[in-house]
Amino acid sequence: MVEEKKEIKTLNLVLLALAGFALLVAVWNVASDTFRAGTDDLFLVLVCLMLALLFGLPTLIWAKANGMLKNPFADEPLPEEGPSVHAVVDHEEHGGSNRQNIMIWGALLALTALEVFLAYIQINQTLMLIILMGASIIKAALIVAYFMHLKFERLSLILTIVPTIVVLLCLFAILFPDSFRLHRMRPVESVQQVEHEG
Amino acid sequence: MAEARAESLVAADWGGGVHPYHIGHRKLGMWLFIMSDSLTFGALLVAYSYARAASIAWPTPFPFSPSIVFSTTMTLVLLSSSLTMVFAVSASKKGKRGTARKWILATMVLGLTFIVLHLMEWNHLIGEGLSPFKLPAEWTEEGAWPGASPLFGSTFFGITGLHMFHVLTGVIYLGVVAARIKKLNDDVEVAGLYWHFVDLVWMFVFPLIYLLSVDYHGVIKP
Repeated sequence: MVEEKKEIKTLNLVLLALAGFALLVAVWNVASDTFRAGTDDLFLVLVCLMLALLFGLPTLIWAKANGMLKNPFADEPLPEEGPSVHAVVDHEEHGGSNRQNIMIWGALLALTALEVFLAYIQINQTLMLIILMGASIIKAALIVAYFMHLKFERLSLILTIVPTIVVLLCLFAILFPDSFRLHRMRPVESVQQVEHEG
Repeated sequence: MAEARAESLVAADWGGGVHPYHIGHRKLGMWLFIMSDSLTFGALLVAYSYARAASIAWPTPFPFSPSIVFSTTMTLVLLSSSLTMVFAVSASKKGKRGTARKWILATMVLGLTFIVLHLMEWNHLIGEGLSPFKLPAEWTEEGAWPGASPLFGSTFFGITGLHMFHVLTGVIYLGVVAARIKKLNDDVEVAGLYWHFVDLVWMFVFPLIYLLSVDYHGVIKP
C-alpha cells in the first residue's frame, strides 16, 4: 500500500514536470524574438498547450478524486452517505429526459439560425470563419454529450474518445500553413496575368 | 468515509477489469468506427480548406436565396431527424418496441427527405455546368471568378457525396434495425450513435461549404 502510494506520487510528479515543460516551451516560443504570431507559431503553441493538458489531466483527475481540488461553482455538497450517492449516479446514468433533448434540439436550431443570419448580413470572411467554427464546435459538443449520450457514460470512455479525437484532428493542421506558402510560391507571371484579367 | 468513496470512484473510472468502459461490444465498436470516420471527414474538410486557402480565386456561387435557404432547410430536416432518433432510442430503452419502430420510421423518412433535397440541389448545379473536374463557363468569366480552381467541384461533390452516402447507409441500417427490432437488444442505441454522427458531420459541412460561399455580388443569376 505504501509502495503504491509512493509510485502514484512519483508518477504524478513526472507528469506534472512534463506538463510544466510543455508549458515552458509554449511561453518560451511566445517570448522569443522569432515569434511572429504566424500559423507556425500558433501551431507550436497549440501543440504545447495540448501536450500540457494531456500530461496534466491524469494528475488533475487524481487530485480531484482525492478531494484536493474543490469546484468553486458546485451547487451543494453531496450528502455523505453512500447509498444516496449511488442513487444520484444511477439516476444520471439513465440520462437525458425527452424535455431536455427537445431543449438541446432548440439550442442546435438557435445556433444554426445564428450562423445563417451571419451569412445573411455579410461580415468579414475571417471573423465569419472563426464564429462559424466556434458555433459548430459547440453544436458538435452538444450532439456528442446529449444525443450520443457520452455525458452519461463512464469517465474512462469519455477520456478515451474525446482527447484522442481532438488531438488527431488538430494534427491535420500540421500541413495547413503550407497552403499559404503555396500561394506565394506561384510563378509570378500567372499571378500577374490573373490580376490583370480580374 | 470520503476517502473510501473517492477510491471506489477511481476504481470505477480507471479500474479496468472485465468491463473497462461498462458498455457492450457493439457500442464500443460503433464508437471506434465513429472515431475513424470523423478522421476521414476531418481529412476531407482540411483538404478542402487547404485547396481553398491556396487558390488565387475560389468561387462563392451560392446566392442567399434560394441556395442558402434551401440548404438551411436541409439542415433543419437532418437536425429534426436526430431528435426523432433520440425518441426512438429512449422508447426502446423503456422496452416500448412498437413506439421505437415508429420513431425509427420517422427518422428514415426525414433522412430520405434530406437525400431527395440534396439530389435536387446537385441536379441544379450539374445543370448549371458544374462537374467534379470543371467549373461552369460563366463562373470563370470576367466579373465572376477568373482563374478559379476546378477543385471547387471536386471538393463539393466529394464531401457532400460522401456525406450523402453516409445518410443513405444510415437509412438502410435503420431499416434493418426497424425490421428486426423484436430480436434486437441495444442495436437501436448503436444505430442512433451512427445517425447522430452523420448529423454532426453536416454541422461542419454546412458552414464550411455553404455559409462561407455566399454569392453577395449577384454573380449567379437565379
